[in-house]
Amino acid sequence: MKTEEEFNRYYDVNLISKLRDLENERKKLLPRAMMFLLGIGGILICFFSLNVWAFIVAILINGTLGAVFLPRFFKLKKALKVKYKEEIIKEMVYFIDPSLSYNSTSFISQSDFENSKLFIKGIDRYEGDDLVVGNIGKTEVRFSELNAQYETTDKDGRSRYVSIFNGIFFIADFHKDFVGETIVLPDRAEKLFGKLGTIFQKMNVSRPDLVKLENPDFEKAFVVYGSDQVEARYILTPALMERIMDFQKKSGKIYLSFLHSKVYIAISLNKNLFEPPLFKSMLNYKLVEDYFKYLMLIVNIVEDLDLNTRIWSKN
Amino acid sequence: MWIGLIIFGCLILLFVIMFNSLVSRKNQVENAFASIDVYLKKRADQIPNLVNAVKGYMNHEKAMLAQITKLRTEAFDNKIGSNERVAVENKITDSMNKIMLAVEAYPDLKASDNFMQLQRSLNEVEEQLAASRRAFNASVTDYNNGVESFPMNIVALMIAYKRKNMFVIPMEFRGQTDERPKIKL
Repeated sequence: MKTEEEFNRYYDVNLISKLRDLENERKKLLPRAMMFLLGIGGILICFFSLNVWAFIVAILINGTLGAVFLPRFFKLKKALKVKYKEEIIKEMVYFIDPSLSYNSTSFISQSDFENSKLFIKGIDRYEGDDLVVGNIGKTEVRFSELNAQYETTDKDGRSRYVSIFNGIFFIADFHKDFVGETIVLPDRAEKLFGKLGTIFQKMNVSRPDLVKLENPDFEKAFVVYGSDQVEARYILTPALMERIMDFQKKSGKIYLSFLHSKVYIAISLNKNLFEPPLFKSMLNYKLVEDYFKYLMLIVNIVEDLDLNTRIWSKN
Repeated sequence: MWIGLIIFGCLILLFVIMFNSLVSRKNQVENAFASIDVYLKKRADQIPNLVNAVKGYMNHEKAMLAQITKLRTEAFDNKIGSNERVAVENKITDSMNKIMLAVEAYPDLKASDNFMQLQRSLNEVEEQLAASRRAFNASVTDYNNGVESFPMNIVALMIAYKRKNMFVIPMEFRGQTDERPKIKL
């Protein structure tokens, strides 16, 4: 596995020259963006000054400028994004593990997402990007960014979309065979209501039976539902529970499910990763390093959860 | 008069709910115990395969192989009681470990596909066995909580339900926790 020092060297040798080119392109794009923003600002100032003529003139001028500059601005912005992903993110994925392949526009399918049974709310809008597919050691993995939402109407009858899940969705082949379903979710009820929370969890009809595990720290952090009590414990060995807790400390809020001999992991995030900066320099090492750390966090799941250990019947 | 009847009705209802809860917990324990038995049988089924795989190589350990075959027959004997059964199963675990240790001296055997596959199945069944014991312990804890906590303990006393004992996990299964607990002095 690659270390941060190795990445630092790789950045200096391979990435920095490409980032310089991209930075030049970003700078070309910037005046257009500034023009557009100034125009909007102009309209707003005229609007609040309550001068009808100034307002109309501002709209006409900005409308003409917008018609000329905007399509070009968006075209260039899109081109920059494609180039950034192809030249930087793709290269980074290859650097981390050459057996992994990257596609900037693909993502984990909605049926895979729904099959994980992690989120049971009906989806109205589903999008994603940055799909990575490949093998890490003996384990087949797939992950991408995802954003699933449902539609709702507020008090005034206006419809809006609310997030069901936003973050990274990871699927890997699990090292043991099993037939049932085991679902591990962040424990909110027990945190809020203590012992009473367990009673609510037992009554949850949309999930299989509650599985009470013997590790108190794990029980505090997660709630486990399973279709088979023995199988849930066969999957969640004391060692794996420790590993999941360690991983959660690094990654934040996580959801896991074990179905169809696979493990599904949803890592909740409140930002969009692997995107080029528009109003910051491309040569900002921190940003690229941040993307590298996220990639490593996900790729290391295989090691963190010990998925390459194949000492059971499944090869 | 009415108030008295309502209170009496509520008490009866409470009794029925607690009684049923205790019965379902007891059945859960029995069910969990039966699942341990399933995995013990599954493990016993692997013993002839193990003996066949290693007997061609192990000339000095013939007695060990004969003993495990004998233990398997004993475990399948319906006449033995549950305590004796536990003792026999523990002896089987012990003998299997000894055989696995002895295999280390035969690199050819250890590297053979047949043996490797067998070892995988054995690892699997041992881990399933450990999981079923943990499931049993969880259901016993649930049952004991019912039997001992107020007011369910009154119902338990009336129907003569007593505390049940948990399985003590043998040392080899504790090995599943690959991180040792940190002890602060």
